[in-house]
Amino acid sequence: MTTFEQRLARLEEIAAELDGEQLDLSRALELFEEGIENLRAASEDVARAEARVQRLVEKADGTFELDESDD
Amino acid sequence: MTRRRTSRRTEAAEPDLFGTTPIFEPTVPLEPTAAYVSEYIETNGYPGETARSAVTVSMLTETARDVIEGAFVPIWVRGEISDFKAHRNGHWYFCLRDRAAQIKCVVWNRDQFRIPAAPDNGMQVAALGRLTIYASRGEMQFTIARIEADGDGLRRKALEITRARLEADGLLALERKRDLPRFPRVIAVVTSPDGAALHDITAVLRRRAANVRLVVVPAAVQGQSAPEELCFALDQIDRWGGADLVIIGRGGGAHEDLWAFNDERVARAVAACRVPTISAVGHEIDISICDLVADHRAPTPSAAAETATRSQDELRRELARLSAHIVAATRANIRSSADRLRHLARDVAAASSDHVVSRRTQLEAVAGRLHALSPVATLARGYSVARAKNGTTLDSIGAFGEKMTFELVVRDGVVPAKVSGAPRANQ
Repeated sequence: MTTFEQRLARLEEIAAELDGEQLDLSRALELFEEGIENLRAASEDVARAEARVQRLVEKADGTFELDESDD
Repeated sequence: MTRRRTSRRTEAAEPDLFGTTPIFEPTVPLEPTAAYVSEYIETNGYPGETARSAVTVSMLTETARDVIEGAFVPIWVRGEISDFKAHRNGHWYFCLRDRAAQIKCVVWNRDQFRIPAAPDNGMQVAALGRLTIYASRGEMQFTIARIEADGDGLRRKALEITRARLEADGLLALERKRDLPRFPRVIAVVTSPDGAALHDITAVLRRRAANVRLVVVPAAVQGQSAPEELCFALDQIDRWGGADLVIIGRGGGAHEDLWAFNDERVARAVAACRVPTISAVGHEIDISICDLVADHRAPTPSAAAETATRSQDELRRELARLSAHIVAATRANIRSSADRLRHLARDVAAASSDHVVSRRTQLEAVAGRLHALSPVATLARGYSVARAKNGTTLDSIGAFGEKMTFELVVRDGVVPAKVSGAPRANQ
């Protein structure tokens, strides 16, 4: 799954490449489309945002699990 | 039967033949037949009353200790430190003195965690301790559990020492500071699960509707076990590996309550943490060693949460910025492509017209030369050419026969002609 941060990083890359010199028109349009797609997905991520609180619990075998916190 | 007691503390486990706890145990062995205190006293007198009932030295000092310990509650005593010695067994020995008196003091190894640093000779301090008798030397001794130096000297000394050690190891260097992730997904919070800090942090995250998961890693933030628990929590986070940012801290409190965050072990654990760290200890004015080592120092836990996360509004603004950038850049690309196309078209046109011009010039030059050679131009100036029927040019009087017909070629055509007389040669 692509994280919000990865999407933003990709968007920055796209913007930077579009800023570059002598870009093929077809490449520019391809980047534009990818950018729009990423923007749409990232906006959905933002709308879904909610803070969750969990607690780190180390089990006897040294593995970890996350318990949902009550508060 | 002899009955030896090395310590009154073990007494409870033994049968008490006297039926009541005696103050003194006599050196003269208790006869098995003397079942009652009254009988014993009748025969020997009170313990220590006669030579025969003399008590042991241990008995004396132990009893003195009991009396003194019973008479004094823990008490703060002010004085000057002298003859300080940190023994290799880990305990501290020194004297507290004023002008007229002094008392031998000890701080057991196990009590030293409450004292920020070893005191220096000459320091004016207030010390909390209990008065006791050190039996094996028969000396009065003040057993100290806490020391507060005037001007908070011990804490300042401890901070200086810790700071210098961390600095020597390069752990305070600004180049070490890592950037915080702009959009952390999982933030580990090392703090007390019941403390104000956690409450403040979650409140901020809820208000901002930040898109993060908060993972609480509980640790005591004050008290003897706090440094170890804080270190352990940081270690757990590293072993777990699921966090991309750590907030370590606690809410405000008394100076000594924040002390665990000045512990060198905690500072080193923060420095060793594999993910970027924000330290948020107490209020704005409290600056801890932990703050100095962390990648970022937040004045309060709430501020740490604000620094760590972006609000929905910020995220929307960020997306809007990127969107505008990408649209503008794409437009610029399309424009520059169109410009390039236009330039290209002009270049092609220009190039081909150049070509035509040069061909024309060439042609004209050739034509000019041809023209010069051609009789047409001469004819144009009014001359004519005589030509025989077969096309040969008649260019001398010898070529003309009597009454011969021929053609005159003039500028705009041909005229039939006939020789009408005898040709005359030029003079």
